[in-house]
Amino acid sequence: MTPFEAGTLNRRDSSQGHREGSCPRRHAPQAQAPFLPRLLPARAIALFLVVLTSSIFPALGKCRVPKDVSRNDLPAQAEVLKDDLGRPFPLPATTPTRIVSMAPNITEILFALGLGGNVVGVTRFCDYPPEAVSIAKIGGLVDPNIERIQALAPDLVIAFRGNPLRIVNRLAALKLPVFVLDIGNGLDALYPLIARVGLVTRREKEAEGLAAGLRARQSAVESALGQVREKPRVFVVLRGQGLWTCGGGSYVNDLIARAGAVNIAAAMPKKWVLYSPERILRDDPDAIFILSKSEEDFARGREWLSREVHLDRVRAVVGRRVYMIDENSASRFGPRLVDVLDRMARALHPERFGGKP
Amino acid sequence: MSGKAGRRLLLALLILLAAAGFLLSLLTGPVKTSGADLWNLVRGEATGVQATIFLDLRLSRAILAFLVGASLALSGAILQGYFQNPMADPFVVGVSSGASLGAVLALSLGVNVAVPGFSGQGLMAFASGLGIVSFVYLLSLRKGSFKIETLLLTGIAAGALASALTSFLLFMRSDSFDQAVFWLLGSFQLADWKQVGTVAPYFVICLAASLWLAKDMNLLAMGDETARALGCPVRRVRKAFLVLASLLAALSVSVSGIIGFVGLVVPHWIRLLIGPDHCRLFPYASLAGGTFLLYSDLIARTVLPSELPIGVITAAVGAPFFLYLLHQKR
Repeated sequence: MTPFEAGTLNRRDSSQGHREGSCPRRHAPQAQAPFLPRLLPARAIALFLVVLTSSIFPALGKCRVPKDVSRNDLPAQAEVLKDDLGRPFPLPATTPTRIVSMAPNITEILFALGLGGNVVGVTRFCDYPPEAVSIAKIGGLVDPNIERIQALAPDLVIAFRGNPLRIVNRLAALKLPVFVLDIGNGLDALYPLIARVGLVTRREKEAEGLAAGLRARQSAVESALGQVREKPRVFVVLRGQGLWTCGGGSYVNDLIARAGAVNIAAAMPKKWVLYSPERILRDDPDAIFILSKSEEDFARGREWLSREVHLDRVRAVVGRRVYMIDENSASRFGPRLVDVLDRMARALHPERFGGKP
Repeated sequence: MSGKAGRRLLLALLILLAAAGFLLSLLTGPVKTSGADLWNLVRGEATGVQATIFLDLRLSRAILAFLVGASLALSGAILQGYFQNPMADPFVVGVSSGASLGAVLALSLGVNVAVPGFSGQGLMAFASGLGIVSFVYLLSLRKGSFKIETLLLTGIAAGALASALTSFLLFMRSDSFDQAVFWLLGSFQLADWKQVGTVAPYFVICLAASLWLAKDMNLLAMGDETARALGCPVRRVRKAFLVLASLLAALSVSVSGIIGFVGLVVPHWIRLLIGPDHCRLFPYASLAGGTFLLYSDLIARTVLPSELPIGVITAAVGAPFFLYLLHQKR
């Protein structure tokens, strides 16, 4: 029998009400003291709580609520930058020595600028360069741990798009110096990104050098390609659950275009898209890139495409033009994208790089 | 344990557990801290970083978890009395899902009207939570009485619809993964004093109001007709309770996402222990709910290197215990 069956509740309530007098019924005829209505315990507590709230909480609300997220306490003379969220950020006078990087590509750029020794916290995905693996972990890209970041006492936290904005705001509210950088649409956005990281870490010269080197390699690829007349049509596979690919809004799409090819999923506006096997059969791509972690991973991916997705009649598979792209470099918006561009261009147009067609 | 001594014992036990829970919450986290560090803080000698970790990160989080647990349990206790059904809770009746839909809708539309201490998200969460529960109430009301099956099924259907819409809205956003986990499974990772300041006064007011109306709830348990005959303004009381339950659920959802099972299990435990008198059930359930969620959050953030969604813990801990108690009762 559950307590909800009216009989049970009725009996208990009335018996308790009369025996202890703690909870007599207000609406029942008052037998005992008609002119002195007793203040019932429950209601007394209720009144007490209301008084308590009105007196305590306004004060409590004021005492430890962090101030506005925008940083008002900027030093007067420091030059003030704006991060990619448009928030003011005072330019450090010297290179920060305790940097927390909240994304793998930022870690990579920091190391490329020679700041590896100044990085005190990275995400658990930061595995390039290999030295980064031994640095203290702050959690993941979408689940960085605020407490760990706080405990590292950083003098610069570089966040990237992909870090949840709510966590970034929480860090700023704790008065941590957070500088947020956004991803761009294509390879062209990589150079400003490197320059911004260089600026905020006061490594402007190194950043310029790094960018110049990368630009030179990019234009070497582009001049080798020259004017490509017949652009192969390409499909990119991200290894994982289902046929994920890169849509028109992704930087991988831009890389493919620069490598003298056309992404068959370019019409999809999103960055990452779940593609359907039917569409690939219809589009019949000339080449397929599989982003894979290793050679074995690539072999499994190729197997999977022909066995389970039934792409063995597609031109790319028939013509044996299925290529591996290193997933680690292609998935991070960092300096190694130029390597990816080079690899794509060489795979798609070997004749332009002195190889056999 | 329905005697006076038993109740006192339960109260003492709950307070002790809650205090221990707060202490544990302060001392455990990804950054190692000792009792000595905490003692330094009490004496005002802690470093800035330690003070931030203890006060801004751990204490605010523990208090928020406690308040949300208390709100959910109180909301569940109200709804169970309201529908005279032990299966009712903010999640089952659809309030939580409705509130979450409202919050995500506000997020997507960029609604930014704010009432003192209540964000646009909180307001929308409250409105749609109240909307869903009224809708469920009207649909399951037949000739002035409820059919329990209709109520449960309507609630589940309405909740599923709201969850589907929430998922859709989240899918349309670019940062959907993190957001989806937060809104559909709950988390206290972003707890801060501002949220505590929002929830605390509303919770206290709701607790006060429900205590004020607790005897009317006892009367409602005898049936609306009987209650009316005894002088209870049934319609007004029912409206008030519906608003209270939705407000509590919406508050919780707007700061921590959907956390299931607290509102279902906790009032049930307490009712089995101290009996169905709502004058006592409401405060005891609030205290127990707060303590329960405090420990759940402690588990959620310590058991693995990265945090678990708290909804996983509440369901894993709550459901088996609920089944056990239910089985024993029979």
